[in-house]
Order: sequence, then C-alpha cells, then structure tokens
Amino acid sequence: MASLLSPELLRRLEQLQLLAARRAKSSAKGERRSRARGQSVEFADYRNYVAGDDFRYIDWNLYGRLDRLFLKLYEEERELPVRIFLDASESMTFGEPRKFDFARQVAAAIGYVALSGFDRVSVIPFPGMANGQSDAATRNAELAARGALRAVRGKKSSIQYFQNLGALTAAGSADLNESLRRGALEARHSGLAVVLSDFLDPAGYEAGLNALVGRGFHVDIVQILAPDELAPSVFGDLKLVDSETGGEQEVTFGKYRLKVYQQAVQNYIQRLREFCQVRGINFFSAASSTSLEDLLLKQLRKSEVWV
Amino acid sequence: MNFLAPIAAVFAAAVPVVILFYLLKRKRVVRLVPSTVLWQKFLAETQASAPFQRLRKNWLLFLQILLLLLAVFALMRPYFAAKIRPAQLRVIILDSSASMQARDESPSRFEKARAEAISWVEGMAGTDQMVILQAGANTEVKQSATSEKATLRRALQSCTPSDGATRLVPALRMAESLVRDQRDAEIHLFSDGAVPDLSEFENKALPLIFHRVGKQGNNVGLIALDVRSNPEDPRQRAIYASVGNFSTNSQVVRLQVFLDERPMETRVLTIPPGETSPQVVLTPQESDGIFTVRLDAQDDLAVDNQASIVSRLPRPAKVLLVTRGNRLLERALRSVDNVELAVAAQLAEPPDHFDFVVLDSVTPAVWPKGNVLAFNVLNTNWVPSVMRVEGPPIVDWKSTHPLLRYVGFDNVQVASANVAKAPSWAVPLVDSPQASLILAGEIGRQRLIWVGFDPLESNWPLRISFPIFIANAVEWLNPANAAHGHSLIQAGDAYRLPLLQPEPSATVTYPGGAIRNLPLDATANEFVFGDTAKSGIYRVRLGTNETAFCVNLLSAPESNIRPRDELQFGAYTKVVATTLRRANLELWRTIAAIGLLVLLFEWWYYHRRTA
Repeated sequence: MASLLSPELLRRLEQLQLLAARRAKSSAKGERRSRARGQSVEFADYRNYVAGDDFRYIDWNLYGRLDRLFLKLYEEERELPVRIFLDASESMTFGEPRKFDFARQVAAAIGYVALSGFDRVSVIPFPGMANGQSDAATRNAELAARGALRAVRGKKSSIQYFQNLGALTAAGSADLNESLRRGALEARHSGLAVVLSDFLDPAGYEAGLNALVGRGFHVDIVQILAPDELAPSVFGDLKLVDSETGGEQEVTFGKYRLKVYQQAVQNYIQRLREFCQVRGINFFSAASSTSLEDLLLKQLRKSEVWV
Repeated sequence: MNFLAPIAAVFAAAVPVVILFYLLKRKRVVRLVPSTVLWQKFLAETQASAPFQRLRKNWLLFLQILLLLLAVFALMRPYFAAKIRPAQLRVIILDSSASMQARDESPSRFEKARAEAISWVEGMAGTDQMVILQAGANTEVKQSATSEKATLRRALQSCTPSDGATRLVPALRMAESLVRDQRDAEIHLFSDGAVPDLSEFENKALPLIFHRVGKQGNNVGLIALDVRSNPEDPRQRAIYASVGNFSTNSQVVRLQVFLDERPMETRVLTIPPGETSPQVVLTPQESDGIFTVRLDAQDDLAVDNQASIVSRLPRPAKVLLVTRGNRLLERALRSVDNVELAVAAQLAEPPDHFDFVVLDSVTPAVWPKGNVLAFNVLNTNWVPSVMRVEGPPIVDWKSTHPLLRYVGFDNVQVASANVAKAPSWAVPLVDSPQASLILAGEIGRQRLIWVGFDPLESNWPLRISFPIFIANAVEWLNPANAAHGHSLIQAGDAYRLPLLQPEPSATVTYPGGAIRNLPLDATANEFVFGDTAKSGIYRVRLGTNETAFCVNLLSAPESNIRPRDELQFGAYTKVVATTLRRANLELWRTIAAIGLLVLLFEWWYYHRRTA
C-alpha cells in the first residue's frame, strides 16, 4: 500500500518494536513475555514434580545433586493485542491534507510495526457504517474491509491490512466516549490501545479514555488537527456550522484576535495533555500537515512507544 | 454652556436605533467547519454570550453611539456665554487710519481687526443688532443696525484702510448717539489705540470696549515737511523735513530727496529711539516742481516713509497802491521781497494786471474785483454800519490769524478811527471796546482786509509791527500764495482750490493713475475735493490749467504706532483694552472635529476587527 506509507518508511518501521509496559495478556501465542508459563527458551522458575508431569521438563542435574525431582518452568511467550481506535467521523474529512488520511497513515504505521512483531492488530473505526450514503457495492466493500480489520495477525497480512485501511471512508457523527467505552468492554484481553482522533467531541473525551485505562489498556493517543483549525484563515462576520452536529456558532473574527484564538486552542490541547499525563497515557498532538516521519520516527520513538 | 439649537437633541432618539441594529442578526458568511468546539472555547474565553452582555464589550457599538452623540451635541450648537453680556446693539468702530496699515500683525493690523470684528459678527446671537462704522479720514456708516450676518460681513469686507490720521471723535460721537437710551448697548472699538485727544467723552460713560490690535511700534516716519526759499540765498530752495524714530532702538535710515523723480540728495541719518531729527536740505530749483522725500527704512509702517510737496518758485506780486501820499505805507510795501509796486493817486480803470490793490483813504471810481487792502475807506458796501470813534483803545487782537503773525498792538495808539461790527464774511482782527478796528475775510473769490483808521492818524507806522503786518498782508492777499497754502494737505482733508473763473468740470488724476471727472457748479468759487484717503500726488485739470497737490500723512501721533493698552479720556477716564476675543464661543466645530476622529477610529477598528 504505497499510497499510505512509502517503502523507505516501511523499511525503517520494520526495525521497530512496540513496547508495552505490561505483560501481554493474550491467550494466543506470540513473541511477548507474559505471566503465563509455557514453552519457550526463557527460564522462569522451578516447582516440585507431581505425578503426571512431562518428564522432559525435569531438571535432571538438580535431581543428581539433591535427589529430588524438580520441574523447570519456562515463560510462555504470548502476543500483544493492539487495538487502534480510528476516528472516521465527518470532522476528520477536513484539513489539507485531510486529517483522516493522516490518521490512516499513522494507523498503518503502528499496525505494520505490530504485525512485524507478531502482534495482533485490530482497527476499530468509529462511528459505525452510516446508512445510505453510498452505493451498495462500495458499502459492501467497506463493510468487508471493516470486518477484516477486526483482527489482523502476521506480517504477511500487512499488504491486505493496508488495503483494508485504504478502503475506509469517514462520514457521520461520532461519539468518542461511547466508542472507546464499547471498545474497552469488547476486548477479551487488554493490551495496547491507540486512539487516533481530533478529540473535538462536544461531549468530551474523559469518559472514554477513563474506560480504556480502567480496563487495563496501555493507551497512546495522537490528536490530529487540521492546520486551518490551529490558525484559521477566514475572517469577518461568520456563521460557523458544525460538520457533525449541525450546530451553528456566530463569531466575528479578525486577524487581531488570531493570537487569542491560538491561545484558546493551545489551552484545549494542554488540558488534554494534562489529563493524559495523570493517567499515564502517551499523548501526541500533530497537525495533519506534519511530516509523518517526524511523528513516527522521532516523537513516538522518543516517548518510547516503540524502539 | 448654552445651546443655540437645543431642539437638535431629538436626534438623540437615533441612539436606540443603533442599538437595535446591533441586536438584530447581522448577515454572516456561512462556513462549514469540522467542529465548533474550539470556537466555543475561544468565545467562552473572550466574550459572554447573552444578548445584552454581548453589547457590553462591543466597542464598535460604543464608538458609533459616541459618534452619534457627538453629532447631536454639535447640532445643538453649544457655546460658552459666560464671558460676554448679551447686548441688544453693538456698534463696531473699525479704525482705518494709517497706523492700522502697520505690518507687525500678519498681514496687517487692519486685517487683524477686521477678522476679529467678523468673529464678533459670527458670534452674534439671533436677535442682536450691529452697526458698523469705519473711522478713517471720515467716519462712514458702513452698515446701519441689522441682524443680518451676511450683510454685516459684507460691510466689514468693504472697509479699506486710509492713509490719514485717526479721526475717532466723530465716530465716537456718532456711536454715542446710536447707543444713547439703549439698554445693553456696547461700542466695540477695533483700533491700535493711536488716537488723538478724547477728552470730549470724559464724562459720557461710554459703554466702550476697546479691542487692541498691534504688537510693537517699530516705525520711522516723516512727520513734517515744508519747502521755502532759502532765506540766505534766494536762488535756492530749503526743504524742511522732520524724521521721527518711534521704535525702541536707534535706527539708521537713508533720506532721499527727489525733485520730480530726479534724485537731488541722499543722507544717512542715525536717529536715537524716541527722537526726532530735523533736516534742512538746500537744493537749487529752476522751475515749479514736486519734491519727494523718501526714507529707506525697514519698519512696520510704510505710509509715512514718503512725502511729497509742491514747490512753486516765488512770483513777484504786482501791487497797486492808490494813495494821496503815504510814504510810510509805500516804504513798508517796498520793503517786502518780490513786490512790484505801482502808485496811483486815483483808481480810474479796473486794475486787471495787478494781483491786489491797496486803497489808502481814497474812494475809487472803479471798485477793484481782485483782493484789496483798504485803509480808512468809507462808503463801501463791505462794511454796513460804520461809526466814528475818537481815540479808541485797542483791547484785543487775534494773534492766531496769519495776518497778525508776529504782530502786536501793545504800544499802538489811534487818534480817531472808523469801527464796525464784523459782518458775516469777516473775522475781527483788532478790537476796541465799541467794535472792530481791523477786519479780514473773503467775499466770493475776493479777499479783503479792512483797516478802519488812517495809519498816519496813529503811531502804528512807527512800530515794528506795521511792516510785519504789511508783509503778512502781501502774502495773504497774493492769489498765488493763497492757492499754494492748500497744496499740501493731510490725507482725509479736503483740497480747496480757489476758482478765478467758473469752470464746467474738473479732472482729477489719483496717485495710482485712476482718473475721475467732476462736474462743477457754475456759481462755485472754489474747487473742493475730499476723496483724499490715499497719500501721494494728485493732479487736477481745470480747463486748460493743470495743478498738483500732495496728500501726505505727516502726523507724529499716527506715526507713533506703538499699540496703547488703554485709551485716555481726558485726565481721569480711561478704557483698558479688553482681553475678550470673540463672542459666543461656539463649540460645534471642535465637537465635529472630534466626531471625525472618532469616525476614523471606528473605521480603522472595524477593519482591524474583520479583516
């Protein structure tokens, strides 16, 4: 999927590995250390032999010294479930480049790194499919893509993964809190949760993020804003219409108030950042015009999302 | 503060309209944005959203309401009336004398005074009336009482400064008659205060407000000029000129004398401050001409830096003495310079080729038409009632008359004389207790001196006063001298020229070159010309004769252009210059100017807000 990520970027992403502070809780085998005991080369502990244990794991050297039978235990290596919450609401279609395209690129990069590390990736676009906005064929194709993105595993699936990401469209009004809460509940195992959104929901974002953290997820969020949202270029007597809610807002705006506006935006971002810091959430803010390499290879690496 | 048009306050009703416009929805550009969340945060930080609270911080609305209120305020025409009393009638006297042409004010004192007077006209309240008098060479009523500002302005614009001395007394007299019995009337005098004696008004309690113009008195001027024969060398003419320095520092000026524009002499004078430098310039003169004296001086008043005078060469007076023999009289006449004397025993034919006739105790067969000096002549119709008096004492004589200059009658006794009451044409020169002994005057174009006694019946011929009187009489009776006596006049004075024969019309050429034709009355015995406001050389053409006369300022009080802070009325009364500058200081111009600034600011603010 060359349109999402360049080959050069993919080559560099292959060398990265997602870091998760917590032990993997998935039931499927993978390459992550887990609390579970099982078959691997990593020694974990000894325990007394009980009848019926596999002889192959008896430490015979120890039996020779102590004349007692001990069983060697090894760490089971499990996979890390990576859930990517992708905001596909109407508001993400704005910006130059579009916020949604940027979000998909970030999702593709994180997914690719996860797939390269034999982790399971599931992409949850929200809101769900809107009705009757496009013809049946496109609709079915997108439904299929969404279904396929529920669970992706293995590096060989990455091409398919990119294609499915590319088939997604953004439309409709999203409820961020509800989407995150539901995503947290649906997950059988906690893991890494990445939220890609503009976090411009009138209802706020606190309940959804709290639900994810409370479910035990390690949460990374990337707030993606359009350049025009950071520094508007239209002035005058305006009636602003919200693309999602249809709500109207009258404002008289001039260049001299630009600084005040920018300060208000920075305050908003800062509140989100502080909220995240308190809950141990990695927070990144990016304009959709930011260089992808800069975000992925510098900012995320610096914050030890991956190494 | 008062308002000239308080009704304009109704325009303040427009203020709610402006507020209403703000409450109405403004047409806005609709724009789709991803989310209004950020905008709501932004608005929450900058303004409240309730309708009336929104007005609270709307500076544009404040500016517009301020602008509207300023406009209403200006329309109400507020003014400060605290400084002036309301006056029903104001008489404006504009001094247009020569000193008002001084350029220490810009452009001149006169223009300054005029502008100030116009500002008083502008500040006139609706029902007030004004009269405009111009006090120049003559007092002119430029505008009678009216409330029409445009008319008053036009009247003031038509005033012009003259080159004459201030004649304020007639103007004040006229103003006084106008304001008499008027309540709240005022006389406003716009002048530099260089005015003559005003003691006539000492006790009149004039409601006079003196508006002084002028800043300094830097002036050097000619204040006197005369030309005579040089007493020591009759071939030369002596020009007597006085140059006064009225400034506060010593002045160096160049004095130039021209005869008919030919330079004759140049002198450099250094005159200490406040001093007068008398100059006598001796110069030859072959024919009649006009001497012009010029001062090259850098001063504020230019009018008095030049003066001209007509100089005529002395002509011998042809005198006919009709006498039965009077050696003393004959000798006195012969001793006068420039007299060609003829003596006859009886006057048989009209003495046409003589300038004047002296009759000594004879009754002529033909009465002369020219000037006459008559000693002891009876049976005339000049003096109606004559009575004979023996040994009349001389009790009084009019020493101010030119005939009695340097003539005294202290030791003169008369044995017997004819005395007469002075008729209307004559002034009594020498009086006895009963009636006059000597009379002089003019009947028509004829000058007469009537002496009621024979000099031989008195000791007068033995006194020094007798030849002096004869010399004075020769001068007074010589018609050429009579004309010359009037050829140097001050600006504003009338020029009088005796007519030897009737003329149908006269042509006057002004100093600037303008020409004016004047029809003359057939019965007129002299030509009187009063339009002499400008100084310079005037030429008069009467029939085939042409003569010239010079109009000059030549006035020391007028040349002293130092502005006076007070006008002195006699010894005890004075009027101090007012500091009031204009009436009814209207404020609407200032307010309108502030309104314009507010409008500009509002414009800038609006564009800054939305651009």
